Amino acid sequence: MIRILALLLALCAAGPALAQTAAPPPFTDRGQLSASELEFRAALKGERISGRVSIPDQQAANLIQPEGLDWRGFHNRTLAWIAGIAVLGMGGLLALFFLVRGRIRIAGGWSGHTLQRFSLLERANHWMVATSFLILGLTGLNLTFGRHLLLPVIGPVAFTALTQAGKYAHNFLAFPFTLGIVVMLLLWARDNVPEKADLAWLKQAGGLMGHGHPGAGRFNAGQKTVFWLTVFGGGIVAASGYVLIFPFSVTDIGGQQLAYIVHGVLAALMFAAMLAHIYIGSVGMEGAFDAMGTGQVDYNWAKEHHDRWVEAQVTKARQTVTPRDAKAAGAD
Amino acid sequence: MARMKFLCDSDRCIECNACVTACKNEHEVPWGINRRRVVTLNDGKPGERSISMACMHCTDAPCAAVCPVNCFYTTADAVVLHDKDLCIGCGYCFYACPFGAPQYPKLGNFGSRGKMDKCTYCAGGPQADDTAVEYIQYGANRLAEGKLPICAEMCSTKALLAGDGQIIAAIYKERVTRRGYGSGAWGWRTAYQEDMPA
Amino acid sequence: MLIKRNEGRIARQRLAETYEGFASGALDRRGFFRQAGLGGAGLAALGVFGAGRAQASGAAMAVRNPEKPMRIVKNICTHCSVGCTVTAEVQDGVWVGQEPSWDSPINRGTHCAKGAAVRELVHGDRRLKYPLKLVDGQWQRIGWDQALDEISRKLLDLRQQAGPDSVFWLGSAKFTNEAAYLYRKFAAFWGTNSVDHQARICHSTTVAGVANTWGYGAQTNSYNDIRNARTMIIMGGNPAEAHPVSLQHVLAGKELNRAKLIVIDPRFTRTAAHATEYVRLRPGTDIPVIWGMLWHIFQNGWEDKAFIRQRVYGMDEIRKEVAKWTPEEVERVSGVPGEQLKRVAQAFATEKPATLIWCMGATQKTVGTANVRAYSILLLATGNVGAEGTGANIFRGHTNVQGATDLGLDVTTLPGYYGLDENAWRHWARCWGVEYEYLLSRFASKALMEMPGIPTTRWFDATMMPGEKDKTAADGEAYVQQPSSFKAMMVFGHGGNTVTRMPESLKAMEKLELLVVADPHPTNYSQLSNRRNGTYLLPVCTSFEMDGSRTASNRSLQWGSKVVEPIFESRNDYDVIHALAQRLGFGERMFAGIQAPGGKVVAESVLQEMNRSLWSIGYTGQSPERLKLHMANQAAFDLTTLRGKPGTPVAGEVYGLPWPCWGTPEIKHPGTHILYNTNLHVKEGGGTFRARFGVEREGQTLLAEGSYSKGSDIQDGYPEFTVAVLKRLGWFDDLTAGEKASLERHFGANIDRAAWSTDLSGGIIRVALDHGCSPFGNAKARAVAWNLPDPVPVHREPIYTARPDLIAKYPTLPDRRGFRMPHLGQSVQNRSAEVSKNFPIILTSGRLVEYEGGGEETRSNKWLAELQQDMFVEINPADASTRGIRDGAWVWVTGPENASKARVKALVTERVAKGVAFMPFHFGGWLMGEDRRQFYPAGTDPIVLGESVNTLTTYGYDPVTFMQETKVTLCQIRSA
Repeated sequence: MIRILALLLALCAAGPALAQTAAPPPFTDRGQLSASELEFRAALKGERISGRVSIPDQQAANLIQPEGLDWRGFHNRTLAWIAGIAVLGMGGLLALFFLVRGRIRIAGGWSGHTLQRFSLLERANHWMVATSFLILGLTGLNLTFGRHLLLPVIGPVAFTALTQAGKYAHNFLAFPFTLGIVVMLLLWARDNVPEKADLAWLKQAGGLMGHGHPGAGRFNAGQKTVFWLTVFGGGIVAASGYVLIFPFSVTDIGGQQLAYIVHGVLAALMFAAMLAHIYIGSVGMEGAFDAMGTGQVDYNWAKEHHDRWVEAQVTKARQTVTPRDAKAAGAD
Repeated sequence: MARMKFLCDSDRCIECNACVTACKNEHEVPWGINRRRVVTLNDGKPGERSISMACMHCTDAPCAAVCPVNCFYTTADAVVLHDKDLCIGCGYCFYACPFGAPQYPKLGNFGSRGKMDKCTYCAGGPQADDTAVEYIQYGANRLAEGKLPICAEMCSTKALLAGDGQIIAAIYKERVTRRGYGSGAWGWRTAYQEDMPA
Repeated sequence: MLIKRNEGRIARQRLAETYEGFASGALDRRGFFRQAGLGGAGLAALGVFGAGRAQASGAAMAVRNPEKPMRIVKNICTHCSVGCTVTAEVQDGVWVGQEPSWDSPINRGTHCAKGAAVRELVHGDRRLKYPLKLVDGQWQRIGWDQALDEISRKLLDLRQQAGPDSVFWLGSAKFTNEAAYLYRKFAAFWGTNSVDHQARICHSTTVAGVANTWGYGAQTNSYNDIRNARTMIIMGGNPAEAHPVSLQHVLAGKELNRAKLIVIDPRFTRTAAHATEYVRLRPGTDIPVIWGMLWHIFQNGWEDKAFIRQRVYGMDEIRKEVAKWTPEEVERVSGVPGEQLKRVAQAFATEKPATLIWCMGATQKTVGTANVRAYSILLLATGNVGAEGTGANIFRGHTNVQGATDLGLDVTTLPGYYGLDENAWRHWARCWGVEYEYLLSRFASKALMEMPGIPTTRWFDATMMPGEKDKTAADGEAYVQQPSSFKAMMVFGHGGNTVTRMPESLKAMEKLELLVVADPHPTNYSQLSNRRNGTYLLPVCTSFEMDGSRTASNRSLQWGSKVVEPIFESRNDYDVIHALAQRLGFGERMFAGIQAPGGKVVAESVLQEMNRSLWSIGYTGQSPERLKLHMANQAAFDLTTLRGKPGTPVAGEVYGLPWPCWGTPEIKHPGTHILYNTNLHVKEGGGTFRARFGVEREGQTLLAEGSYSKGSDIQDGYPEFTVAVLKRLGWFDDLTAGEKASLERHFGANIDRAAWSTDLSGGIIRVALDHGCSPFGNAKARAVAWNLPDPVPVHREPIYTARPDLIAKYPTLPDRRGFRMPHLGQSVQNRSAEVSKNFPIILTSGRLVEYEGGGEETRSNKWLAELQQDMFVEINPADASTRGIRDGAWVWVTGPENASKARVKALVTERVAKGVAFMPFHFGGWLMGEDRRQFYPAGTDPIVLGESVNTLTTYGYDPVTFMQETKVTLCQIRSA
């Protein structure tokens, strides 16, 4: 009896040869998509595959974020193209312009008289923003292009030291930059409000097309463009930048990647725009630099480029100089 | 030359976290740095799957591609490593990495994230093999001793496989054939652009 | 082979120069971190090449030095009962690394999170470094001698005033076998039976239930043998988190055999996630489910009729009880649908071999013993015992709870399950080389000597209630049946947060005149109550810092070798027990047969004394030499059969010589892999069911009929072997002269009564084996255990039940007394109707993989603590939304007794059903919302603290073992 029992037991253990109901697959793999399929779909939809982790770092709960590959493509290709074209393109255009048009002279020559265009506060603030911006821009460009352009030249150790310093500079200077554009907004917003006259200025491309100089107020349409670009563009760049230096404090990885994209594209475009601004304020136009340099601009220059402003300034000056109840000379 | 890969069999992974603590033990990884972690999808429901995830040592690694200081390199075994002395802690590699592998000792404020740390496939770093310096910076170098990553060696159910990609793929396929099911090789499509049949 | 970047060379040189400053300590810690780029608070201060010892000044980071030699030492993981081998790399006396233990057939190189992190335990950032004494609420450092002197003096004082029973000796499931044995022996020499350990709260009901069914209370097969199963039911266990490495075998078996893995559990656990079928039941309704399965089995004739006829007694009584559990009634009570249960039953009964795996879900109930008996009966009815791939695969808890149980750290018995009657004491007196009268003199009375002591689940009741000397009429039944209540508690390796009704234990903690905690960590005892004086903390080392054997759940013994010397001022258990025994006046006698030169006990010599004494369970063949040979030849053992391969030094032996390993080490019994296996000769490890309960009952034979182990000379059932039986069989003269002389010397005129378990020569066992017979007889397993409160297991609702409507039909037992104290039942259960209105959620508790036991040690391990930083409660989404609770939010969980409450995080998950909540039990250090961190001695507080679930758990005890009911009670949850 025992022998039969033993035999039966042995047969039972022999394996699936006997007629038994087959075990279904376990819950982990019952009618679900395979790993490969899930990854494929997530990549297509731009979604993440995420679950639960027991550690506090919630970023760890993302198993696979295929958007990282898209972000890599953006960083290495798209942004490089945009920034490259924008910066080099703008540089090229400016060089070309200079070669063709040359330095824009004061038509009436130096008058020898000056009037104040920008106060000390305005200038100091502008230079704070400008210096910050330059370093921010250069260090930012270094993060995208330095590896290809500078690293082979100075070697990895020096390059790391430079880039590391650059990273700190970039992050710290964000604050004076932001402060500066807020001050700019407060100081100059009123004078930068777009007017109908700006359209005329634009139609003549500031005097490049057509004959003569179009009229302009304190700031012409070109300058107004730069102003609002600086304030809004700079504001968005700053905001996205803060998101980037306080990572995952307000958003998840998708948000961080988006912040980077916005930051990078806008900053590159701004940099290009600023190249034009720097050009015209220095090499490109005689007499322009003094505005921000000493604050005092030549009278003729001012009349040519900002006639309505000059008029308003002169009128104000006359009113100051002439007492209210003064009569014309020789009236009595 | 071997092409090293990881494969986590989520039909065997029970989220015991041995891979996590084995890595911590072997490399004295500090608190807050998770070179390896176990993620559970559909937690608590039928269909729950746990997957152990760390750096996958991708073919054409996105981290290496986006690094501003080019501090990454790939060994002959296709292990993706980086040089902490060159790293500036900018965090780009984390944005690019589909698997969340890069870890930073500090978080936030003014970009001071410290040197990026990640799974080294137990292959150390650019320092000379088996020196104290290498150990302190990157952890143990098991590959130099002819061993495999400790996470896979200590996996309680042998869910996590590590080794030459072809060999572990063959092991997995054999397992799937024998038992009749398999969720597939998590991350392979993304990391190695390979379709791992279940 | 790595390709190095050329540029890296520059970095290398730069850094190498910096690190040269190391040896002289020139580089400060902060600067170093910056260089290393690792930073963070986690790294300890660095040491030089090769690292320094873990000195009191602060532990060094272990930096391996490739130039120095590396020593490899094998020990056993100190966490769970799977018994994974830990391979330690040691350099200069410092444990610097762990390597996979490929050779071990049990874990084959693998670990779980805890096993992979054990090196940190000996690194010991937060361990107790030196003895501490609590003086006016402040911890003072003292020396060992002073500590032991003061403690002994106090103990002797208390002994004089209140008798030896006034001290409670709480031992540990993490003791090595030698330490457990010494501790039990110590308690006997002290004169009390109140010595206990974690098995009480873990598998005490298993041991009672299983032993009362077929003889021994232990896992019948092994983790490895599960690879042979075609159907596996895991009911009341979550091995994916509690025994992860066992899943290696379970899942491999599932894959190899295309086996069905059925999980029956109130929660959809991580184990259930890998199952092929999941059965959800209401907590506390195990018996209805088992009987429901048997209903289908009997209904369809799927039972193993031959097996029942030959090897089981009393199945007809079971049939009567099972007939009441129709599918409708089962579903009404437990919630399990009839169709599903039928499917499960059919698989279990017909797709064999089938095995039943259980853990705390079965045991931690007021009906724990009955549950286990029902499980055993299911196995018997389907013939799933005693063969490969079958069996009761009981997954025990702590690393050596099996060993500690076997060695009698149990209030009901001496080592080896001999019990406490006079025969048992006389046997041990013989073994210990002392007179019985001496041992008798150590006790307050013979009655108390033979009365089971007070279990750990009720220690605080025994402290608060008066003893017989002090009780008054007003106390009624609320007294302890011994001269005095507990005045002192000696805790060697046990948590303070693992027993129910914690708020009540606090009062008792404050009342004790002496509290001694001997542990690598201060434990909850150091901070839970508002004690101000009379507490001592003694730093005892882990089992990695000492030699000793441990018994895994599958009964295999493994020898662990000392990895490093005890760190700081810690000492091992043996030496502390020895030092205490000396001071208490019985050291000489206690250690007469054990080598302890200079107070340093030799572990091997303790094992040898055990080998000379533990005949009843066959701990006699596992000599230190044989065990060490097994550890050195681990790779020679087959993965599934655990047999040593031919041509190796361990050929034919079973790994770890699982007990019973019959007879003296000289006869080289191979150990018993699968219990009760009649397919093998007893000399190969075969066996039968124990003839433990007599030969006959009510006219029916209790002996096996027509079933016997392979090659047995007696081809039928037979009683256990005594000299009288030998004589009757004509085998008495098979005994050697020496064996006969030993019998005559010890038994004299009573020689006929000498039994296989009391024969110190081992002769009776040897003769029985030579004739192919099991020394303990060949009987039927008992489906009806007439000595238990419920001879046939019946369903009884939990004490605090969410279904008060079922109490009338399924009440718990009436109030009674047990273990020297009152034991309430119905009077508490009858509160359920009211209680369940305000506490509508069923609360169950259980394990997490990252932590173990009370959690003080694992929550002090930084690698583990990081993974579970908050205590939590799992709550179903429906329950959460009605309470406005979001995932991760803070909540208050309140319990029906003691106005208890706990502040924890909510984990909203479908894992638990609506109306059920789960909390892990590993947390401590917060008490009802108060953070008690400051009360730990400085530098020893665990990294992670949290509320203890046992703040909320309630009254309710199994009548047979006083097991607590931690798996089912009631609670309420609200947003914090």
